[in-house]
Amino acid sequence: MTVLISGGSKNGKTGLAQDIAVKLSGDGKRYYVATMIPYDDEDRARIGRHIAERAGLGFDTLEIGTDIARCLDGWRNGTFLLDSVTALLANEMFSSSQNGNADPGAFVRCRDGLLKLARCADNAVFVTDYIYSDAIRYDALTEQYRETLALLDRALAEVCDTVIEMCAGNLIFHKGGIAL
Amino acid sequence: MEFIIGGAYQGKKDFAIRKYGLSEDDVFTCTEAEGIRFGAKCVNKIAEFTLWCIRNGKDAVEIFREHRAEWKDSVLICDDIFCGIVPLGADMRAWREMTGRLCGYLSSEARTVTRIFCGLEQRIK
Repeated sequence: MTVLISGGSKNGKTGLAQDIAVKLSGDGKRYYVATMIPYDDEDRARIGRHIAERAGLGFDTLEIGTDIARCLDGWRNGTFLLDSVTALLANEMFSSSQNGNADPGAFVRCRDGLLKLARCADNAVFVTDYIYSDAIRYDALTEQYRETLALLDRALAEVCDTVIEMCAGNLIFHKGGIAL
Repeated sequence: MEFIIGGAYQGKKDFAIRKYGLSEDDVFTCTEAEGIRFGAKCVNKIAEFTLWCIRNGKDAVEIFREHRAEWKDSVLICDDIFCGIVPLGADMRAWREMTGRLCGYLSSEARTVTRIFCGLEQRIK
Protein backbone atom coordinates (compact mmCIF):
# COMPACT_ATOMS: atom_id res chain seq x y z
CA MET A 1 0.00 0.00 0.00
CA THR A 2 1.06 3.59 -0.66
CA VAL A 3 -0.03 6.47 1.57
CA LEU A 4 0.40 10.24 1.27
CA ILE A 5 0.07 12.30 4.46
CA SER A 6 -0.15 16.10 4.29
CA GLY A 7 -1.36 18.93 6.49
CA GLY A 8 -0.03 21.86 8.47
CA SER A 9 3.05 21.65 10.66
CA LYS A 10 3.06 20.27 14.23
CA ASN A 11 -0.04 18.18 13.56
CA GLY A 12 1.34 14.72 14.27
CA LYS A 13 2.02 13.72 10.65
CA THR A 14 5.27 11.90 11.45
CA GLY A 15 3.70 10.02 14.36
CA LEU A 16 0.81 8.90 12.19
CA ALA A 17 3.20 7.90 9.40
CA GLN A 18 5.16 5.76 11.88
CA ASP A 19 2.01 4.03 13.12
CA ILE A 20 0.91 3.31 9.54
CA ALA A 21 4.37 2.07 8.47
CA VAL A 22 4.58 -0.26 11.48
CA LYS A 23 1.13 -1.65 10.70
CA LEU A 24 1.76 -2.08 6.97
CA SER A 25 5.16 -3.74 7.42
CA GLY A 26 3.98 -6.51 9.72
CA ASP A 27 7.02 -8.73 10.22
CA GLY A 28 8.85 -7.23 7.21
CA LYS A 29 11.65 -4.68 7.09
CA ARG A 30 10.80 -1.08 7.81
CA TYR A 31 12.93 1.90 6.82
CA TYR A 32 12.74 5.48 7.99
CA VAL A 33 14.03 7.56 5.08
CA ALA A 34 15.44 10.72 6.66
CA THR A 35 15.72 13.39 3.95
CA MET A 36 16.81 16.31 6.10
CA ILE A 37 20.45 17.31 5.69
CA PRO A 38 21.40 19.00 9.00
CA TYR A 39 23.01 22.43 8.69
CA ASP A 40 23.16 23.58 12.31
CA ASP A 41 22.61 22.58 15.95
CA GLU A 42 18.88 23.30 15.73
CA ASP A 43 18.57 20.76 12.88
CA ARG A 44 20.70 18.24 14.77
CA ALA A 45 18.54 18.65 17.91
CA ARG A 46 15.35 18.10 15.87
CA ILE A 47 16.79 15.00 14.26
CA GLY A 48 17.82 13.74 17.71
CA ARG A 49 14.23 14.14 18.94
CA HIS A 50 12.88 12.24 15.93
CA ILE A 51 15.35 9.39 16.49
CA ALA A 52 14.32 9.15 20.16
CA GLU A 53 10.62 9.18 19.23
CA ARG A 54 10.95 6.22 16.89
CA ALA A 55 13.30 4.22 19.12
CA GLY A 56 11.88 0.75 19.70
CA LEU A 57 9.63 0.84 16.61
CA GLY A 58 12.09 -1.25 14.62
CA PHE A 59 13.01 1.20 11.87
CA ASP A 60 16.35 1.14 10.11
CA THR A 61 17.24 4.74 9.27
CA LEU A 62 18.35 5.60 5.73
CA GLU A 63 19.81 9.08 5.42
CA ILE A 64 19.08 10.00 1.80
CA GLY A 65 18.73 13.71 1.01
CA THR A 66 18.81 13.56 -2.80
CA ASP A 67 18.15 11.03 -5.62
CA ILE A 68 15.49 9.35 -3.54
CA ALA A 69 15.24 6.19 -5.63
CA ARG A 70 18.56 5.20 -3.98
CA CYS A 71 16.28 3.81 -1.23
CA LEU A 72 15.91 0.78 -3.50
CA ASP A 73 19.65 0.28 -4.14
CA GLY A 74 20.95 -3.27 -3.77
CA TRP A 75 17.44 -4.71 -4.22
CA ARG A 76 16.52 -3.32 -0.82
CA ASN A 77 12.76 -3.49 -0.24
CA GLY A 78 10.19 -3.40 2.53
CA THR A 79 8.12 -0.57 4.00
CA PHE A 80 9.56 2.92 3.51
CA LEU A 81 8.54 5.95 5.52
CA LEU A 82 9.78 9.02 3.63
CA ASP A 83 9.94 12.12 5.83
CA SER A 84 9.65 14.45 4.02
CA VAL A 85 8.92 15.36 0.39
CA THR A 86 9.31 19.00 1.50
CA ALA A 87 12.93 18.57 2.61
CA LEU A 88 13.80 16.36 -0.37
CA LEU A 89 12.68 19.06 -2.80
CA ALA A 90 14.55 21.77 -0.88
CA ASN A 91 17.74 19.69 -1.10
CA GLU A 92 17.29 19.07 -4.81
CA MET A 93 16.34 22.66 -5.71
CA PHE A 94 18.73 24.62 -3.54
CA SER A 95 21.92 22.57 -3.31
CA SER A 96 24.84 24.93 -2.73
CA SER A 97 26.29 24.48 -6.21
CA GLN A 98 23.38 26.34 -7.78
CA ASN A 99 24.44 29.88 -6.70
CA GLY A 100 21.06 30.81 -5.28
CA ASN A 101 19.06 29.70 -8.32
CA ALA A 102 16.79 26.69 -8.33
CA ASP A 103 18.17 23.58 -10.00
CA PRO A 104 16.00 23.23 -13.13
CA GLY A 105 16.23 19.44 -13.01
CA ALA A 106 14.96 19.17 -9.44
CA PHE A 107 11.28 18.58 -10.24
CA VAL A 108 11.82 15.73 -12.68
CA ARG A 109 14.42 14.05 -10.43
CA CYS A 110 12.12 14.24 -7.39
CA ARG A 111 9.00 13.18 -9.28
CA ASP A 112 10.60 10.22 -11.04
CA GLY A 113 12.34 9.05 -7.85
CA LEU A 114 9.20 9.34 -5.73
CA LEU A 115 6.99 7.60 -8.30
CA LYS A 116 9.56 4.81 -8.67
CA LEU A 117 9.56 4.32 -4.91
CA ALA A 118 5.75 4.31 -4.87
CA ARG A 119 5.68 1.76 -7.70
CA CYS A 120 8.42 -0.59 -6.50
CA ALA A 121 8.28 -0.55 -2.70
CA ASP A 122 6.31 -3.21 -0.84
CA ASN A 123 4.76 -0.28 1.04
CA ALA A 124 5.54 3.42 1.12
CA VAL A 125 4.33 6.25 3.34
CA PHE A 126 5.13 9.78 2.15
CA VAL A 127 4.99 12.79 4.45
CA THR A 128 4.64 16.25 2.93
CA ASP A 129 3.63 19.71 4.14
CA TYR A 130 0.62 21.77 3.18
CA ILE A 131 2.01 25.29 2.61
CA TYR A 132 -0.54 26.70 0.19
CA SER A 133 -3.10 28.68 2.14
CA ASP A 134 -1.55 31.85 3.48
CA ALA A 135 -2.00 35.46 2.41
CA ILE A 136 1.60 36.30 1.57
CA ARG A 137 3.12 37.40 -1.73
CA TYR A 138 6.40 35.50 -1.88
CA ASP A 139 9.48 36.19 -3.96
CA ALA A 140 9.72 34.33 -7.27
CA LEU A 141 12.10 31.64 -5.99
CA THR A 142 9.89 30.78 -2.99
CA GLU A 143 6.82 30.79 -5.25
CA GLN A 144 8.62 28.38 -7.61
CA TYR A 145 9.37 26.10 -4.66
CA ARG A 146 5.72 26.12 -3.50
CA GLU A 147 4.44 25.37 -6.99
CA THR A 148 6.94 22.55 -7.49
CA LEU A 149 6.10 20.97 -4.13
CA ALA A 150 2.40 21.16 -5.03
CA LEU A 151 3.08 19.38 -8.33
CA LEU A 152 4.93 16.60 -6.46
CA ASP A 153 2.09 16.32 -3.93
CA ARG A 154 -0.44 16.04 -6.75
CA ALA A 155 1.61 13.43 -8.61
CA LEU A 156 1.82 11.36 -5.42
CA ALA A 157 -1.86 11.87 -4.55
CA GLU A 158 -2.76 10.53 -7.99
CA VAL A 159 -0.89 7.23 -7.57
CA CYS A 160 -1.17 6.63 -3.81
CA ASP A 161 -3.87 4.28 -2.55
CA THR A 162 -4.65 6.49 0.43
CA VAL A 163 -4.37 10.27 0.89
CA ILE A 164 -4.75 11.71 4.38
CA GLU A 165 -4.84 15.32 5.53
CA MET A 166 -4.08 15.86 9.20
CA CYS A 167 -5.77 18.69 11.01
CA ALA A 168 -5.05 19.23 14.72
CA GLY A 169 -4.27 15.56 15.12
CA ASN A 170 -7.42 14.45 13.29
CA LEU A 171 -7.49 12.53 10.02
CA ILE A 172 -9.35 13.64 6.90
CA PHE A 173 -9.37 10.94 4.23
CA HIS A 174 -9.30 12.37 0.71
CA LYS A 175 -8.78 8.98 -0.92
CA GLY A 176 -8.81 5.36 0.18
CA GLY A 177 -8.63 4.43 3.83
CA ILE A 178 -6.72 2.43 6.40
CA ALA A 179 -7.76 0.73 9.62
CA LEU A 180 -5.47 1.70 12.47
CA MET B 1 -23.15 28.77 -9.37
CA GLU B 2 -20.51 26.23 -8.47
CA PHE B 3 -17.80 27.47 -6.12
CA ILE B 4 -14.32 25.93 -5.94
CA ILE B 5 -11.83 26.78 -3.22
CA GLY B 6 -8.40 25.47 -2.26
CA GLY B 7 -4.79 26.39 -1.66
CA ALA B 8 -2.39 27.62 -4.33
CA TYR B 9 -1.37 25.17 -7.09
CA GLN B 10 -3.77 22.44 -5.95
CA GLY B 11 -5.31 21.89 -9.40
CA LYS B 12 -8.55 23.89 -9.00
CA LYS B 13 -8.80 25.11 -12.60
CA ASP B 14 -7.91 21.69 -14.03
CA PHE B 15 -10.65 20.20 -11.86
CA ALA B 16 -13.20 22.81 -13.04
CA ILE B 17 -12.42 22.12 -16.69
CA ARG B 18 -12.69 18.36 -16.18
CA LYS B 19 -15.74 18.41 -13.93
CA TYR B 20 -17.86 20.94 -15.81
CA GLY B 21 -16.79 20.13 -19.37
CA LEU B 22 -15.11 23.48 -20.01
CA SER B 23 -12.20 24.49 -22.22
CA GLU B 24 -9.33 26.86 -21.38
CA ASP B 25 -11.12 29.52 -23.47
CA ASP B 26 -14.12 29.40 -21.12
CA VAL B 27 -11.95 30.51 -18.20
CA PHE B 28 -11.47 34.18 -17.40
CA THR B 29 -8.52 34.82 -15.09
CA CYS B 30 -8.71 37.84 -12.78
CA THR B 31 -5.61 40.00 -12.27
CA GLU B 32 -4.53 42.52 -9.68
CA ALA B 33 -4.05 45.08 -12.46
CA GLU B 34 -7.27 44.59 -14.44
CA GLY B 35 -9.72 43.14 -11.92
CA ILE B 36 -12.61 41.00 -13.07
CA ARG B 37 -14.87 40.51 -16.09
CA PHE B 38 -18.26 38.94 -15.39
CA GLY B 39 -20.09 36.68 -17.80
CA ALA B 40 -17.45 34.00 -18.41
CA LYS B 41 -18.46 30.36 -17.83
CA CYS B 42 -15.62 30.14 -15.33
CA VAL B 43 -13.95 32.95 -13.38
CA ASN B 44 -10.59 31.99 -11.88
CA LYS B 45 -8.30 33.69 -9.33
CA ILE B 46 -10.99 35.72 -7.59
CA ALA B 47 -8.47 36.65 -4.86
CA GLU B 48 -6.64 38.66 -7.55
CA PHE B 49 -9.88 40.58 -8.10
CA THR B 50 -10.20 41.30 -4.38
CA LEU B 51 -6.62 42.60 -4.40
CA TRP B 52 -7.64 44.89 -7.29
CA CYS B 53 -10.54 46.05 -5.07
CA ILE B 54 -8.13 46.86 -2.25
CA ARG B 55 -5.87 48.82 -4.62
CA ASN B 56 -8.86 50.74 -6.03
CA GLY B 57 -10.93 51.34 -2.90
CA LYS B 58 -13.83 49.08 -3.95
CA ASP B 59 -15.84 46.50 -2.02
CA ALA B 60 -15.71 43.05 -3.63
CA VAL B 61 -18.94 41.76 -2.06
CA GLU B 62 -20.91 44.81 -3.22
CA ILE B 63 -19.62 44.43 -6.77
CA PHE B 64 -20.54 40.73 -6.79
CA ARG B 65 -24.04 41.49 -5.47
CA GLU B 66 -24.58 44.06 -8.23
CA HIS B 67 -23.57 41.59 -10.94
CA ARG B 68 -25.33 38.52 -9.55
CA ALA B 69 -27.26 37.81 -12.75
CA GLU B 70 -24.00 37.58 -14.68
CA TRP B 71 -22.33 34.90 -12.52
CA LYS B 72 -25.22 32.93 -11.05
CA ASP B 73 -24.66 30.12 -13.61
CA SER B 74 -20.84 30.30 -13.60
CA VAL B 75 -18.07 28.27 -12.00
CA LEU B 76 -16.14 30.54 -9.62
CA ILE B 77 -12.67 29.70 -8.27
CA CYS B 78 -10.87 31.33 -5.36
CA ASP B 79 -7.58 30.60 -3.58
CA ASP B 80 -7.82 29.72 0.09
CA ILE B 81 -5.50 32.34 1.65
CA PHE B 82 -6.81 32.01 5.19
CA CYS B 83 -4.55 29.57 7.02
CA GLY B 84 -1.33 31.53 7.45
CA ILE B 85 -0.18 34.02 10.05
CA VAL B 86 -1.73 37.50 10.11
CA PRO B 87 -0.03 39.48 7.32
CA LEU B 88 2.27 42.29 8.46
CA GLY B 89 1.04 44.84 5.91
CA ALA B 90 -2.30 46.59 6.49
CA ASP B 91 -3.29 46.23 2.82
CA MET B 92 -2.58 42.48 2.90
CA ARG B 93 -4.69 42.17 6.07
CA ALA B 94 -7.52 44.07 4.38
CA TRP B 95 -7.13 41.84 1.31
CA ARG B 96 -7.42 38.69 3.38
CA GLU B 97 -10.43 40.06 5.26
CA MET B 98 -12.27 41.12 2.11
CA THR B 99 -11.51 37.83 0.36
CA GLY B 100 -12.83 35.96 3.38
CA ARG B 101 -16.08 37.92 3.39
CA LEU B 102 -16.49 37.36 -0.33
CA CYS B 103 -15.89 33.61 0.00
CA GLY B 104 -18.52 33.45 2.73
CA TYR B 105 -21.01 35.23 0.46
CA LEU B 106 -20.18 33.06 -2.56
CA SER B 107 -20.42 29.87 -0.49
CA SER B 108 -23.88 30.88 0.70
CA GLU B 109 -24.97 31.56 -2.90
CA ALA B 110 -23.37 28.45 -4.38
CA ARG B 111 -25.21 25.29 -5.38
CA THR B 112 -22.05 23.31 -4.59
CA VAL B 113 -18.78 24.15 -2.85
CA THR B 114 -15.79 21.95 -3.61
CA ARG B 115 -12.41 22.12 -1.92
CA ILE B 116 -9.43 20.85 -3.92
CA PHE B 117 -6.61 19.19 -1.98
CA CYS B 118 -3.59 17.80 -3.87
CA GLY B 119 -5.77 17.61 -6.97
CA LEU B 120 -8.51 15.62 -5.19
CA GLU B 121 -12.03 16.96 -4.73
CA GLN B 122 -13.73 17.28 -1.37
CA ARG B 123 -17.37 18.32 -1.56
CA ILE B 124 -18.04 20.62 1.40
CA LYS B 125 -21.49 21.88 0.37
